[in-house]
Amino acid sequence: MTYPIEFKNVSFSYTGSQSLALSEINLTIAPGEIVLITGPAGSGKTTLCSCINGLIPHFHEGQLSGDVTIGPFNTRKARVGGLASLVGMVFQDPESQLVTNSVLDEVAFGPENLGIAREEINQRIQSALEATRLTGYEEREPHNLSGGEQQACVIAATHAMHPEIYVMDEPLANLDPAGRAYIFNLVVQVARQRGKTLVIVEHALEETLPLVERIIIMDEGHIVRDGPTQEVLAQGDIPHVFKRPDVMRLANLYQLPEMPLTPGQFHQALRKKYSLHSLSNKTYQNGHVHDGEAVIEFKNVSFSYTQEKETLHDVNLNIKSGEMVAILGRNGSGKTTLVRHIIGLQQPSQGSVHVIGKDVAVTPTHMLARDVGFCFQNPNHQIVSFTVKDEMTFGLKTHNVDPSEFDSRIREALEIVDLSDKIDWEVFDLGKGQKQRLALASVLTLKPKILVIDEPTTGQDPEMIDEIFAIIKRLNEMGTTILLITHRIDYAALFTKRAVVLQYGRISYDGPIRKLLLDHELMRSNSLDLPELTKLAVELSDLGVPGWAVGYDEMKSYLDQIVEVQHGN
Amino acid sequence: MAIEYQKGNSLLHNLDARTKLLMFIGITMAAVIIMDPILMGILFLLIYWLGTKAIDRQLLNQNLRVLVVIFLTFSLFQIIFFTPKDAHFLFYLVPFKQWIPVTIEGLIRGVAVFFRFFSVVLSVHLMLYSTPPVELALTITEKGKRKFSATDILTILVIAGVLIVATLPLVINSEPITWLPNPLYQTLFMLVSCLVLAFVVQRVTSHGLPPEMGLALTLGFSTVGLLTKQTQKITDAQKARGYDVKPKNLVRRVQVLTALLIPIFLATLERSQDISIAILSRGFDYNISKRTFRREFKFQKFDYIFIAGVLTIILAGMLLNHFQLGNLTEQFIFNLMK
Repeated sequence: MTYPIEFKNVSFSYTGSQSLALSEINLTIAPGEIVLITGPAGSGKTTLCSCINGLIPHFHEGQLSGDVTIGPFNTRKARVGGLASLVGMVFQDPESQLVTNSVLDEVAFGPENLGIAREEINQRIQSALEATRLTGYEEREPHNLSGGEQQACVIAATHAMHPEIYVMDEPLANLDPAGRAYIFNLVVQVARQRGKTLVIVEHALEETLPLVERIIIMDEGHIVRDGPTQEVLAQGDIPHVFKRPDVMRLANLYQLPEMPLTPGQFHQALRKKYSLHSLSNKTYQNGHVHDGEAVIEFKNVSFSYTQEKETLHDVNLNIKSGEMVAILGRNGSGKTTLVRHIIGLQQPSQGSVHVIGKDVAVTPTHMLARDVGFCFQNPNHQIVSFTVKDEMTFGLKTHNVDPSEFDSRIREALEIVDLSDKIDWEVFDLGKGQKQRLALASVLTLKPKILVIDEPTTGQDPEMIDEIFAIIKRLNEMGTTILLITHRIDYAALFTKRAVVLQYGRISYDGPIRKLLLDHELMRSNSLDLPELTKLAVELSDLGVPGWAVGYDEMKSYLDQIVEVQHGN
Repeated sequence: MAIEYQKGNSLLHNLDARTKLLMFIGITMAAVIIMDPILMGILFLLIYWLGTKAIDRQLLNQNLRVLVVIFLTFSLFQIIFFTPKDAHFLFYLVPFKQWIPVTIEGLIRGVAVFFRFFSVVLSVHLMLYSTPPVELALTITEKGKRKFSATDILTILVIAGVLIVATLPLVINSEPITWLPNPLYQTLFMLVSCLVLAFVVQRVTSHGLPPEMGLALTLGFSTVGLLTKQTQKITDAQKARGYDVKPKNLVRRVQVLTALLIPIFLATLERSQDISIAILSRGFDYNISKRTFRREFKFQKFDYIFIAGVLTIILAGMLLNHFQLGNLTEQFIFNLMK
């Protein structure tokens, strides 16, 4: 029995919403296909996924018209539980999908629900854990695993149900680069191994494109493009909806015959078409040393949550006024613990931390908060009011700011994050990206001298990430000292000059970020992946392209130089 | 402080979750039946000894320390207010005014009450510390058929019978329950409560809760810890925004709590939504009455020994009561005084 997915004239609107989340969708996905669905936030990707496993119309309320069928079953009539035996769902946030207290129970949960016999459950657990490389984790608590391991656990749990169709809604968003590569390969391998259908929703095109067969692009509830990977890519970008990875856009610019999916392929195609010329002047652009007074000083700081293991070990760090520093490292390397010291949420077990001359060990957090703005990874943990305006006023009130200044400060902050028109909105109505920006704005009302931002890009679409980094850059230009924790090394390299890499609680690198890009060994050992364009630069390094080049414009100028000479001939 | 499951490999850890549940019920019954402070003290020390084998002593004491004060107050109440007419007077608590007499009976009762409460609480602690909550919930979850058969009714009647016999000497010996003066009502009340208890015991041991409830319990257990973590995160976020979360002013402190409520409310809502989606997507409502369970629950040798031990203690207590030997210590002291 095979189970094709079929959408016939499907439209859906959520209760209480005027607009259609899906409109007139007609779509067939054949058994065994590997399909990528992409598009900006709010374009209906998640809604589409929820239709496949029956969460729409059975769980999410709204108006559904048209029919969704999975093989012989119409989702309108089948129960979610029934469909679950055919459709395995994996969502973005692994933590929210873990329901039990041990990896074994977690993987067993699905098969138990399906009434599988005990011996077979145990077999399935074995093979699922093997496939996801989680063998040996049986008794671990899922909530104490790293993000990548948690997602692997969810995938194992889905795999153990032996579904015909895997639907994965942004499974990579919460992971560090090494975790991403691992999980994505896992997902494709698991689906291929059993010859099953895989529908994957993702923004991260660089990683996914080389492995998928078909791309569907969605915007505002419509399918705007659908076809085999090469075909869809050849049709170019769609403004604000679909932006091909930089490597492909460059390939377009240089009219390479075939769409390269990897930097290696680009290099080969470029060589085939042009004879390339070496760059004459090899200049190493040294990141200039920032001078200014030190505002954050870590002196021999060690910290441990438990007696057995130190989370930070002998950290020495000086951040100067007006600097923008990227803090990098794999999940669990101590990045968040480090920055929590700056605002006194953690106090060093040994050594001292001074922030603008104040010792954090003796200054309470709410006093430090006058100078230090802190944006948490999850905006939901930070928002304390029901309306945008109240949220913006909250900090001002706690800091006893003169009420006559409220209006101007709020307006200013909302303008910076581009939310001025949302001042009368309720927090519930904001999207995730907007909430993130609101959280940032509410911190900005206090005009902090130092801003600490923890992972501002999780779960945001590429356009939003661009926006957030533009905001951060503007703030830095206005004189704010910024510490940024991020997994996006490409953006970090574009926007910051200095990088600090944490490895097992020690600083393993502190210096110009571009110099870090040249040290591939160090990068790999910290599970930092080179940005795609830098990989291309490395490929072209024998022609004198510096191996630290990042960014589209930069790469374009180098390519212009090595190719242009050829045109002259 | 929350009592969280501690990993381990002790005798207690390896017992079946049902045994531990029965141990808790058994010890509660023993605490009701046994009135002698020394016997109760021995029982208490026995449980405590078992506990220290299974769980870090510091952790165990940390939680019990708070309770000492509470239970001492209970004992004090007993000492002060338990003054039967022919009691042996000792001294007055407020000497010159001759207020609040303290008697030997009261004192003995008081000490016994202390150990009785403590044994019950300790047995709950041990059960929760040494049993993963999931196991505890699943073990009392129904697996298989749900119909009511003649043997079930028979089992209930037998259990009820045992309970009645067990409580009979108690009822006869003790003073009438003050809020139920009529002896007929008293007997009826006892019969009904025995039946209800028997019904619950029979259901839980042989059939268990319906799977929906059992799994709801399981999920609840796994969420509690998560919410605690989430609350911590939210408090941190608020501190970082300049909020003084521990102000000295009481009014401000209430305001702080209300500010915490909104994000926790949001987080809880979100979490419950997430969980519903997660369990539905994993086939929870596939066919719940046919659900299977990975874990096998089988009694081992030690389980039987343990249950036999607890039963012996209860029976011994009943026998002592029956032969008017329930208050060994008291009688011993009176004999000495003669």
